[in-house]
Amino acid sequence: MTRKLKRTGLSAPLVYIGAFLLVAVCLFPFLWMGLSSIKQLNELYTIPPRWFPEMPTLANYQKVLFESRIPRYFLNSIVISVGSTGLALILAIFAANGFARFRFKGQAFWQTFILVGQLLPTAAIIVPLFITLKVLGLINTYWGLILVYMIITLPLSVWMLTSYFKAIPIELEEAAVIDGCSRVGILFRITLPLSLPGLVAVLVYAFITTWNEFIFALCFATDSTVKTLPIGLAEFSTEFNTDWGSVMAASMVMTIPIALLFLVFQKLFIGGLTAGATKG
Amino acid sequence: MPALIVLMMLIAYPVTYTGILSVTNQQEEFVGLQNFRDVLRPRVTTQALWNTLWWVFGSIFFQVIFGVAAAILLNQKFRGRAVVRSIALIPWVVPGIVAATTWAWMFHTEFGIINYMLTGAGVLEEPIGWLITGNTVLPAMIAINVWKLFPFVAIMVLAGLQSIPQELFEAAKVDGASYWEEVRHIMLPQIRPVVTAVTLLLVIWALNAITIIYAITSGGPANKTLITPIQIFRLAFESSAFNQSAALAVMFFGIVMLIVFIYIKSLATESSEKS
Repeated sequence: MTRKLKRTGLSAPLVYIGAFLLVAVCLFPFLWMGLSSIKQLNELYTIPPRWFPEMPTLANYQKVLFESRIPRYFLNSIVISVGSTGLALILAIFAANGFARFRFKGQAFWQTFILVGQLLPTAAIIVPLFITLKVLGLINTYWGLILVYMIITLPLSVWMLTSYFKAIPIELEEAAVIDGCSRVGILFRITLPLSLPGLVAVLVYAFITTWNEFIFALCFATDSTVKTLPIGLAEFSTEFNTDWGSVMAASMVMTIPIALLFLVFQKLFIGGLTAGATKG
Repeated sequence: MPALIVLMMLIAYPVTYTGILSVTNQQEEFVGLQNFRDVLRPRVTTQALWNTLWWVFGSIFFQVIFGVAAAILLNQKFRGRAVVRSIALIPWVVPGIVAATTWAWMFHTEFGIINYMLTGAGVLEEPIGWLITGNTVLPAMIAINVWKLFPFVAIMVLAGLQSIPQELFEAAKVDGASYWEEVRHIMLPQIRPVVTAVTLLLVIWALNAITIIYAITSGGPANKTLITPIQIFRLAFESSAFNQSAALAVMFFGIVMLIVFIYIKSLATESSEKS
């Protein structure tokens, strides 16, 4: 954007105060989380609370990483998130390709159907899903959660990808057809490479969503061999005597990967998200 | 369309099944509307509905206000804007459960930093039991939810602000408009479509948001934070009353769809009036 006239704006101090407030509000809980996670027990429970630990300790992390099931849950989370993200991406590519390039009967209906899928209240589908999974013998398996997470992420993924695929000029594909390229060839040689930012956006979206999901995991994974990180964290904190130091350390362990992933890909991610929303 | 078939199975089937569950008993016999009557009778259902309304409207009101304010701020050019923008989004990407535990610790009555800061600054005479007092617990939950989701509003509105044609600002400039007049007469009207779309999403999310409340209070104390989704969930998985839970889910789903339908309908008429 080039600006010919100098834009009017808020005065600089006001902007910086606002920005500072914004950052403070957003980061304060994480700061407190970090500080609490390196405090010793007696420093956690002092009245009044102390800001900085006098004797920082890694004992909480040691407890979380070596004396609890958190590492196992971490692994479970990765298996499930990667599995469902991959599956959702593959299905979304084909579905979005269909929406973007083919005219078929009931297209509008299907597109609406997918949106309604996004609107379904979690609480309304959790019971039937539970019973379905039970009948299929998928409770407490990786596959059960992978399938369920796919349901959650697929609708928006299809929606986002469709708008990316539609943006690709159809002439490119026609040229490819003339050169003797098959439908599938077009998809892999033209559509996908050209919509790489969209693919990454969908990937990050699906991964973050599944990584963070709590309620479905709570119902469908009751065995510690498949429990995911959020459940592990809840276990820590719902016990009668909450060990806040360890809870905060576990929170850090859980937050850092997702925050890093987000910060690395945020440009693409936000681009994909806002493109899907503004183009509708 | 394999994807569509899978989706169909995984969405339509549960919906149908919920419908069937809601009109049968545990022996799978047809019982008509019995489940609906059973679930509507206790006073707690009405209370949950009111809580849900408070929760949804409280959350969305502040999310939109703070979100739009943050977006207008981030639309300014200043040094370090990119960094501030990234940081501002972090609450949104962290897991809901992390937000829940961290805030629960900050709201802690004796050792929580929030009580410490408020008493220290003289705002409060003595510490408040945020999460155990009936009157403060729902506002506290709303505050957490607002913190978690206003960044999303901000980023969407920011995208809307940046797509406003530059000519509008130049024209305003020629007319000698001040910054606040620009905000009021250009920015706010121009971002209305984005805000309406985002609001719809926020309504749906607020209606789906079980994690934060469930993880901190599971609906307590004394059902003060029991919202309908949590009631459905607890009926099914704590009381094993699957059929009643399904009946409640059907009604809830109906109400949600009605809200969405009215919302979209009014949007459609509004935009056709404009053109």
